[in-house]
Amino acid sequence: MVWLHPVILFALAAVAAPILIHILVQRRAEVVPFPTLRFLRSTAIVSIRRHLLEDRLLLALRIAIVAAAVTAVAGPLLVTRARRDVWNRRIVRATVISGAPTASGGASRDGERVVQTREFRGPSLGDGIRRALEWLDAAPPARRELVVSAPLTIGSLSAADIADVPPSVGLRFERVGTLPAERTVSYGRVRAVDGSIEREVTLAGAQTSVRDRSAGDPKAGADRGFPLDVLAAPPARPFVDAAIAAVLGERVWSPPEAHRARLVLASTEHATAEVSAGNGDMQPWIADAIVRLTRDADLQHASARAAGALEEPRFSQAPWVTVARSRDNRLLIAAAASADRLVVVSGAPPSDVALPILVRGIVNAIAGVADIVPLEIVPIPDAQLTAWSRPAAPPPTPRIDRVESDDRRLLWIAVLGLLLVETWVRRAARRDAAPAHVEESARVA
Amino acid sequence: MPTDAPCPPDVLAGIADLELVARIVVEGLVSGLHRSPFHGYSAEFIQYRRYRPGDDLKYVDWKLLARTDRVYTKQFRETTNLAASIVIDTSASMDFPAGAVTKFRYAVIVAAALASVIAGQGDAAGLVARDAFLPPRSGRQHLRRLLALLASLTPGGVWGGAETVRRAADRLGRRGLLIVISDFYDDEQRMAGELRRAQRMGHDVAQLQVLTRDEIALPYGRDVEFADLESGARIPVNPALARRGYRDAIAEFLERTRSTALAEGRQHTLLVTDTAPERALRSFLLARQT
Repeated sequence: MVWLHPVILFALAAVAAPILIHILVQRRAEVVPFPTLRFLRSTAIVSIRRHLLEDRLLLALRIAIVAAAVTAVAGPLLVTRARRDVWNRRIVRATVISGAPTASGGASRDGERVVQTREFRGPSLGDGIRRALEWLDAAPPARRELVVSAPLTIGSLSAADIADVPPSVGLRFERVGTLPAERTVSYGRVRAVDGSIEREVTLAGAQTSVRDRSAGDPKAGADRGFPLDVLAAPPARPFVDAAIAAVLGERVWSPPEAHRARLVLASTEHATAEVSAGNGDMQPWIADAIVRLTRDADLQHASARAAGALEEPRFSQAPWVTVARSRDNRLLIAAAASADRLVVVSGAPPSDVALPILVRGIVNAIAGVADIVPLEIVPIPDAQLTAWSRPAAPPPTPRIDRVESDDRRLLWIAVLGLLLVETWVRRAARRDAAPAHVEESARVA
Repeated sequence: MPTDAPCPPDVLAGIADLELVARIVVEGLVSGLHRSPFHGYSAEFIQYRRYRPGDDLKYVDWKLLARTDRVYTKQFRETTNLAASIVIDTSASMDFPAGAVTKFRYAVIVAAALASVIAGQGDAAGLVARDAFLPPRSGRQHLRRLLALLASLTPGGVWGGAETVRRAADRLGRRGLLIVISDFYDDEQRMAGELRRAQRMGHDVAQLQVLTRDEIALPYGRDVEFADLESGARIPVNPALARRGYRDAIAEFLERTRSTALAEGRQHTLLVTDTAPERALRSFLLARQT
């Protein structure tokens, strides 16, 4: 048996009320004026005890009434095998639709009894799935099924969306409609000399077009808001500024606020002492950034032609990671993670062309731009959909507030019945208490 | 359509006009009586009666004593008017039960009916209560005064039954009829003593004991706390447990009252308030005729 509001069962303590009332009321006998007491003998103690015995039935009835009422309010439900069988035979279906309406999404299949069905449309399949799951959670006890009816292109549905669906909810996919002719997606933000720019990519078949739109950040081009902090000796500063200006002129991806980096030009003696690295715990985005740097072909090519080297042996050891080597195969650029930023040390001369390439590489690396390939209009493979599909499982223990018929009505009927019996018993007791003419009538008359 | 059914007590008690009530009761009462139920000591011989202490020796039939060795007195029908005094109990114990025909109301109806019968014969009827006294006189005007006085009486407090009977006997003057209507819950010894004294004074004494069915049967079901109407004392009682003892005690009391009265030559009649007054009075008057 399950309960809708088990907390209410604490109210069963209310059965003490009729007991207390019974005891208190019984101790006050009715006062009856009588002509003379000379023929009467007091029977006070016996009388009270006797009444407690006489009215035990009435007391039991009242306790039962209170207990049944409290139990009914608490909402009991007997989960019997027959009831479970009924629940298992029916199905509640939510259909998430994207694109044109479908004729098959809410249709019943062989042998199943669909008790409720509803369609959900939204800006995305993920949003529709979320709302469908909320509705399924509030549905009456039945097998629950989620049908996704859409063209099902890559990007319209992710593994994370599927992971949110509880295991007991069945999943079915229906590929309907045609693939969209084009798709326009936001593709991040880039930095330029004249400010920050929102980039939008439209994919239409084999043609891909990019549209930039100013995001209105006039100071974005200044070194002050630049995500890369360069430590260099004063003589090297003009080279650094020129490198940053060159990079902004070429435009680079704008990293998130929390992604910061520091470049130390180790060829300058003053900067060497400030190089430090973290304790070895590396944040995922820093690791990704280091990997991107090591795979930056332009950087590797420029480094291979540069002179200079990082002479200190510690840059060859952990936690430092070698990013690039010089033309004589000596360590030229190394990277490591500090507590909150990526630290890159370069042994290349500031005047070398490797510097602006390194600056661009670092900024792009910490920006972490997503691959555009998944955004192309390609259907999710059937094998993937089959892997995600599963039948609806029998419903778990249902929430009683979602049950259409429970056992409360039986208890309320019991309460009414007990009230009738209590009334009858009370009236019968009152009739017994009323003056009755007895056998003395004949004798006296 | 005329009917012989007596008028129920609760209907009679609901009629405010006591004269009308008395007339209703008497009309149903006298139809079955052939001659006067009240007779005094007249020159017209009626019957012999066994001698009782206090009887005037001049009425002893000496010849009969000589023949049979038994002492009998001669009874005569009085040719002069009978003087009857009705003594009515106005104690609080008569104000029972609440919400129904009380013993006191029933006693008033009986007293009014008796006074009407007596006055109808041309005899004199008087009334004695705790604070009221009306000497026996005949005539319709006097009867109206008596009924008005009866109607003005209210029960309450203690009665002082023995003193009232004594006062009634003393004021009755010549030998007459003393009718005492009460529940006789007073001091039994003192009351019996005063009644005997009245008899010794030559009065014919009749006791009409008025009780309710509830007093006789104690038919209560639940626990009750009985409150004495006169003293206010209370005792808790479970009627189911106390009923047997109570019934035995009150039956013994009724029997003692009745046997004492009969043994001492007084007429005793028990009137239960759920009985029609005509019926109860008829048995009383028929007993007087025999």
